[in-house]
Amino acid sequence: MNNINLIYVPMNKLKTTTVGVYIHRELNKDDVSKNAILPYILKQGSSLAKTPEEFSKYLENLYGAALKAGVVKFGNDQVLRFEAETISDKYAPCGERLTNDLVRLILSVIFEPVTQDGGFLKSVVDIEKNNLKTRILSEMNDKRTYAMHRCIEEMCAGEAYAISANGTIDGIDKFDEKSLYDYYKEAIVSSVIDIYVCGDADTDSIRALIDDTVSGIDFKPAKITATELHTSDSDVKFTVDKMDVTQGKLSMGFRTGISPSDKDYFALMVFNSVFGAGAHSKLFNNVREKLSLAYYASSALVKPKGVMVVNAGIEFLNYQKAYDETLAQLEEIKSGNISDLEYNSSIQSIVNTLTSYSDLPEQLHNFMAGEKVYGTNYDIEHLKSEILKVTKDDICRVAQGIALDTVYFLKGKVEE
Amino acid sequence: MELLYKKSDATGEELYYGTHTSGLKIFIIPKKGYSNNYAIFGTRYGSVDSEFVVPGDKTVTKVPDGIAHYLEHKMFDQPDNSNVFDKFSKYGANANAFTSFNMTAYLFSATSNIEENVETLLDYVQSPYFTDETVSKEQGIIGQEIRMYADNGGWKVFFNLLNCLYHNHPVKKEIAGTVESISKITPELLYGCYNTFYNLSNMAIVIVGDVDPQKMVQTVCHNIKKSEPFSEDIKRVYAKDEPDTVVKPYIEQKLSVSTPLFMIGYKDTDTGYTGQKLLKKSIEIKILLQMLFGKSSAVYKQLYYSGLINQNFSTDYTMQPDYAFASIEGESKNPKEVYEAIKAQIERVQSEGLSEDDYNRIKKVLWGKHIRSQNDVDEIGTEFIQLQLMGIDYFDYYDVYSKITFDDVNNRFITFFENSRSALSVVNPVE
Repeated sequence: MNNINLIYVPMNKLKTTTVGVYIHRELNKDDVSKNAILPYILKQGSSLAKTPEEFSKYLENLYGAALKAGVVKFGNDQVLRFEAETISDKYAPCGERLTNDLVRLILSVIFEPVTQDGGFLKSVVDIEKNNLKTRILSEMNDKRTYAMHRCIEEMCAGEAYAISANGTIDGIDKFDEKSLYDYYKEAIVSSVIDIYVCGDADTDSIRALIDDTVSGIDFKPAKITATELHTSDSDVKFTVDKMDVTQGKLSMGFRTGISPSDKDYFALMVFNSVFGAGAHSKLFNNVREKLSLAYYASSALVKPKGVMVVNAGIEFLNYQKAYDETLAQLEEIKSGNISDLEYNSSIQSIVNTLTSYSDLPEQLHNFMAGEKVYGTNYDIEHLKSEILKVTKDDICRVAQGIALDTVYFLKGKVEE
Repeated sequence: MELLYKKSDATGEELYYGTHTSGLKIFIIPKKGYSNNYAIFGTRYGSVDSEFVVPGDKTVTKVPDGIAHYLEHKMFDQPDNSNVFDKFSKYGANANAFTSFNMTAYLFSATSNIEENVETLLDYVQSPYFTDETVSKEQGIIGQEIRMYADNGGWKVFFNLLNCLYHNHPVKKEIAGTVESISKITPELLYGCYNTFYNLSNMAIVIVGDVDPQKMVQTVCHNIKKSEPFSEDIKRVYAKDEPDTVVKPYIEQKLSVSTPLFMIGYKDTDTGYTGQKLLKKSIEIKILLQMLFGKSSAVYKQLYYSGLINQNFSTDYTMQPDYAFASIEGESKNPKEVYEAIKAQIERVQSEGLSEDDYNRIKKVLWGKHIRSQNDVDEIGTEFIQLQLMGIDYFDYYDVYSKITFDDVNNRFITFFENSRSALSVVNPVE
């Protein structure tokens, strides 16, 4: 037995084949930094390409195939993710079997790292520790995303989801090349590993490559960590950070009380679209177009946590105006003021996005991974048919249950 | 209108194309089996075009910086007060627009109702409507856009670099202008620019998706409003003699970032081409950038292992007929040391020569990139129109690429990479 699931989605119209590997780990304080560094260390050397230079040359010889490593979170599930893409074999000028060569490299990166004296190479771990520190610290560089993350961090304080997928600075000093390798050995046999292949591939030969690589490994039972909804009965929390910035970033976190497996999940998606997801939405048309307060004003769902966050970039002095208008627009929906245009555009917009996944392999496997983690496993067609059934009354009902939870404001050190 | 057809044997891509009597160039790229459709309607008009001679005029017209971008925002206001986004939303399309140095483009992607959406696209871009009230309303929104960019380290490090590389060329100016320059924009100025640059003979439309090319061309032609093509070109007044030299080799700014950001630029002085010549030059320089500074290069290894760069390290080449530059960007605790290493790499190769093995390997990478760019309807459509507006036929790629030799790349290296024509821009953290 092994924990590896191979999911093949034929997309013959494309000229490339994409491979997405998702290694599912539990998001928790003790392991987060180790999980966050592992993909980067694994990429630095494996049985097939022992040094970064060999690794790069290997990919260049596959017509510049790409292999990105990184880490993301879906609720309390922290995913070590590898995303690779090569031109499909039928476009290889000399008949090379590019997909197989790429899969071989990925498997060696995941299962056959370069080691020394029972650990990873110290030189590699030291460099990647520094790079991870830089990544954590540079979360503040993109103020728009940073403000949203800070809002969620304040909102979910004490819950696993408040932890950044990049890990923590403290956590980095708690392991070395040996203890990290011990952790890796345990993690690799006790994690659910999903491999998505989208494009034009020979699955039999990919499966054979996988079986060949893992035949000697003893896997342990593994499962994907569940995520709890964010709940709270305390008053609205307010947090302000100050930085040297010229534009303020307002981030408002709301509880929706709806999880992906809830029957109101579809209505929540449509609600979010009406409220703030796109140029048809209430936030765009009122905060931006009517009041000229912002260049962007939008809402987004953190689906597994039942959370919605509103983001806007505004003048510091317009804080109260933007805050009031956001809540006023929510009240509009609560009292049933949804125009036909807002309603139809929202449904169309979601259906359009879902339909477009069939051309976009990375988005598609990201979507499928999300559905798997949420435990819903909805396929695109089912989701579309449920979205089409949502009524204005459903949207209004969902809105009634939405409550402001946390307000975050990033402002300048000097008031204008 | 005569509809022409061609097919690339190397990639299998097909193209239907023609020029309408209005001067509008129409291109359809069919993508069998795709769900997504993409259309982009663009004009060769961007932030660099603040001084020009209207065809038929004798004098130069000078307009405020940032006006091309302002005009882009204002195209969404319609004479009947209708909302363009509403029309697109009704047909399930995602609509957007952008302004770059040399182009303004209006676009949508949609999985259904492609004809209705193409009609909407053509209609609103041909329906200018500017009043004092609508023009002044935009000051607040664009003012916030300008402020958003002012806090963006990646954006500032780029424009500061351009200010090191260029003495006079307007590419060094921010695309959205300044809060001050946009305050001078009036409906009259917007109409003046619109009537000059949105003449259909200065524009092109590209449609990519699983569409019937004949029907699509008919839809486009039916929705073209009466328009006379200019009989002469719009004269664009750029720099009065941009010198070959850089303005200064170093610039720095402080912003609230965690690690210093850097961008190194090499100014291209071999300019003035369009068409295949320009395409050939760009492929040669992209091969060189990968050979010299790519992940398998000696200097990358040296910098990565000494902790001077991290995974955010990349190279790019930006080109237009009248200006071009290569850039190398990343994050580093010591950007000056990175700059020295880059310059030393150039000097080393200047004395030791390029490796032909590296060349052969990296040339393959460029082919892979070209094929990969054809996966996505958005990507192929955008690249196609960008090249088209600088006089390059995307379908020439294979021909030009396959004829490039190691000697060509060597010669390009010798003329292009000159350390005295380079500069370093740094954004440092505030203390």
